[in-house]
Amino acid sequence: MEPRISSDDIREAIANLPILSPNVSRLLQVLSTDDYELDDVVNIVKYDAALTAKVLKVANSPVFGLVNPVTTLDRAISYLGKWIVISIILSDNTGELFHKPLEGYDGGQNALWRHDLFAAFSSSEVARLAKHDFEAELAFTAGLLHDIGKFVFSPFWEKVVPEALGHIEEGSMADYLEAERSLTGMDHAQIGYEMARHWDFPEPLQQAILYHHTPQQAPEEFRALAFAAHLGDMCAMMAGCDTGNDGMQYPLDDGYSEFFDLTSESLAQILLEAEIQFKKAISSLSVEEEVDK
Amino acid sequence: MSNIVLGIGDYGASDRPGSMVKTYALGSCVAVTMYDPNLHVAGMVHVALPDSKLNRAKGAECPGYFADLGVPLLFEEMVRLGCQRQGRGLVVKLLGGASVMAGNDTFNIGKRNVLAVKKVLWGLGMGPVAEDVGANYSRTVSLYVDSGGVTVSCPGRGQWQI
Repeated sequence: MEPRISSDDIREAIANLPILSPNVSRLLQVLSTDDYELDDVVNIVKYDAALTAKVLKVANSPVFGLVNPVTTLDRAISYLGKWIVISIILSDNTGELFHKPLEGYDGGQNALWRHDLFAAFSSSEVARLAKHDFEAELAFTAGLLHDIGKFVFSPFWEKVVPEALGHIEEGSMADYLEAERSLTGMDHAQIGYEMARHWDFPEPLQQAILYHHTPQQAPEEFRALAFAAHLGDMCAMMAGCDTGNDGMQYPLDDGYSEFFDLTSESLAQILLEAEIQFKKAISSLSVEEEVDK
Repeated sequence: MSNIVLGIGDYGASDRPGSMVKTYALGSCVAVTMYDPNLHVAGMVHVALPDSKLNRAKGAECPGYFADLGVPLLFEEMVRLGCQRQGRGLVVKLLGGASVMAGNDTFNIGKRNVLAVKKVLWGLGMGPVAEDVGANYSRTVSLYVDSGGVTVSCPGRGQWQI
């Protein structure tokens, strides 16, 4: 099938993306080192007054129920835990990336953020069940970033999505990723990978983004991380935290069993734990705005 | 209007004319709706997992999250609003329980949720008169107090009645 969209136009949109905030670049570099410590994350926050104020505000939100207000950054970060701090840094320093409505996917404002956050908590829970050593510390961030490609792709996709949904409905295209590739010559995973390269993300995150729907095809050293992002994505869709018309429209790669000890019971535990953490994060991070599912 | 909007693990019922009970994006979760056509009482629970044995603390904090606790609690709420304790005359419907596109059964939590809900309903002497469950798409469900009508919608698939 002849692509309906020029991939050159998509690549031009990637090239025109604003440069990444130094805070995010530093955070991702820190997270991808083997032996980073919480202090390394604290150091990113403390030199940015706005970020410090946000972290303190979140720590003092009613969700955490503190009797005495927290006034120091170290204490705030120890209350919140690193996942919420990483979420604050990424959410507050990436402009509209996670929050703009995804018209091509019928996704409302914050749909991408909610999906990615649930996937991130799920990916980090999946990582606990790893059979072999891998960059488990990166699983949360890989889950949080896996779908960034939809941000660039959505306006292009909007023009052809009715045709794609028709093909999927009648079975002439097997799944959503095939529809994206057939109609545009690219898919959101590939576009996310090119964004990650444009922004010079660490290699493991680039690969996890590229292979989050096809983890078995990832280079061996990044395969477990790609599977963690893949399974986190699946969990988020099962929990109803999808990005819109593509919810549950992607196949599960059951090669995960080589990397993770997953049973129906442990999967239920993952969904439960991810939901608890997700709810807490979404409530505390939304102290200034109405949460709208 | 006082519509009731349920999140994951919430349950609620209403007899307020003109209102509805609604829940968004079920995924593999299951919504059980109950409706009394004589009293115009409408109730719903948004169940996420089959059995509270998985995590007793979560069951105590949010019983509607599990089929074994949530369905009986919804029924009690219907009784509190005047429905018969025998469950006679209640119109019960099941929605949701979707699954990702998987070749193995591990990820089929939607199916396990549907089976668990049916088992609890049978224990209460009830069964669904209609269901829209399974497949691989997420459903948003609204139950209307005045008519008992159930509307289902899904991004990209439109809206339909059950």
